[in-house]
Amino acid sequence: MVACLLCCVVDNRKVSLPLDLGVCVLGIYSLCATGGRSSMADDKDVLRDVWFGRIPTCFTLNQDEVTEREAEPYYLLLPRVSYLTLVTDKVKKHFLKVMKAEDVEEMWFEYEGTPLKWHYPIGVLFDLHASNTVLPWSITVHFKNFPDRDLLHCPSNSVIEAHFMSSIKEADALKHKSQVVNDMQKKDHKQLWMGLQNDKFDQFWAMNRKLMEYPTEEGGFRYIPFRIYQAMSDRPFIQKLFRPISPEGNAHTLGNLLKEMYPTAIPNDGEPKRYQVVIHGIEPLLETPLQWLSEHLSHPDNFLHICVIPTPTD
Amino acid sequence: MSLCVLEEETFRHCCRLILQQSEQLRDGWSWESVQGSQEGYLRKTALRSAVINSSPVGDQVESSSESGPQTSCQSWPDLQQHKKEQSVLVASAGADSIQGDIDDEDDDADEGVCTVSEGSSQVLQYEYHILYSCSYSTPVLYFRAFTLEGRSLSLQEVWSSVHSNFSFRLQNSPLNTITQQEHPLLGQPFFMLHPCRTEEFMRPVLQVAQDHNRPVNYVLTWLSVVGPMVGLDVPLMYTTSHY
Repeated sequence: MVACLLCCVVDNRKVSLPLDLGVCVLGIYSLCATGGRSSMADDKDVLRDVWFGRIPTCFTLNQDEVTEREAEPYYLLLPRVSYLTLVTDKVKKHFLKVMKAEDVEEMWFEYEGTPLKWHYPIGVLFDLHASNTVLPWSITVHFKNFPDRDLLHCPSNSVIEAHFMSSIKEADALKHKSQVVNDMQKKDHKQLWMGLQNDKFDQFWAMNRKLMEYPTEEGGFRYIPFRIYQAMSDRPFIQKLFRPISPEGNAHTLGNLLKEMYPTAIPNDGEPKRYQVVIHGIEPLLETPLQWLSEHLSHPDNFLHICVIPTPTD
Repeated sequence: MSLCVLEEETFRHCCRLILQQSEQLRDGWSWESVQGSQEGYLRKTALRSAVINSSPVGDQVESSSESGPQTSCQSWPDLQQHKKEQSVLVASAGADSIQGDIDDEDDDADEGVCTVSEGSSQVLQYEYHILYSCSYSTPVLYFRAFTLEGRSLSLQEVWSSVHSNFSFRLQNSPLNTITQQEHPLLGQPFFMLHPCRTEEFMRPVLQVAQDHNRPVNYVLTWLSVVGPMVGLDVPLMYTTSHY
């Protein structure tokens, strides 16, 4: 069953393959060949590809910053599952070389006029604001006029860690009434964080798999931790309670979720598709079971982040 | 259904009762709904005089890089062991920005203004929102604060504005964490008292009420516990009336 689900994901390469690296890797699979009952190895491949997804990015210093000489742009492959402020030390160092200390305040990022929220995973920011644009992703770096009505301050990595752990705890409240995360020790929490911070897939997943367990007889988590983001909306995201299994015992799909939470995202029969439903840069089939998506396409914060963006018109 | 679980519908009912009372007491609560949905939040603004101080408290800054973050949901024994660390870290967010190489010059400039009368109080504008968290099935208190010149208070300043009667309690209670978070309906930065241990301190209250067959407004009772810590008092008039 799982193998066939994987195909659903993989098949999206036919639909529209976004250009960033993470997704290309996802697209290369030919998992259909594994036959009816899939092996764990295949699933692990998906987890690995999600984890190692990268977005080529060009950082440019905001023109209004005062510099002593011209600032060259800086190129970086950003991990989709990480956070901007966690992986941009080199960017900061690079631009500080041409600036005077007194002209430097808290660093923040902007894309085409939109301040980028560091507390959303990088892949979510890209899918939401920059899908269907030319790569590399062009981000503007600022060192003054921090928009504190739009962005959370991020003075240190411990703030990112707190945010990350708080998301994991909230997700586990939904999945297991907090039982798994509360049974973990402090060092286990640390292992999750260090895994993300140091880009250690095995370290992270050795612990994270506990958060992905559920009683077989229940067929899934209590509720699916998800957030649906919409570009061009005042409301940052939709987050409600939704179970992976219907009262009749059927697996809920991505389509079921959207139909309830965001019906306009699903095209009516015969009408052109107005929106793309994007997770990690791909458009999973709406028939994909939600429980499988939650286990395999969630970000390390244990939430399934779903972006609904307008279909490109060209 | 568990005693302590607050359903979203019950939350809205509790809020309606509070609004009815508030109308009589004229203390300024209103319901703000989110366009096109049933969702919304209770909102109130208030002027409050408080002592704020944006410099780090005592020696609390030093260990911030080494120790963990203000993880929100420590277990009780854990909490006791780490209470010093906790207080360090709650305060650390603001501290780093002031101490770090990349100083926020604006903040520093303003700091001069707001700490002219260090030790004496100044008037601040507070905005309180009560939202429902479906993840934790509890109410959550979000708030932000501004000086009368319109500058937002930093986490450091908010922490220092907590009355000393409560700061000890904050550091040693399940409510020990005030963090900056995105308002889930507005998308703007707010401060939040973390909800993940709310059930723990609400259970005894609700149990007693149930044992005596006494009706209780969950949201009001909860607010009377968490509100005073951040300057939001619940007049006794609310609790003496019948629900």
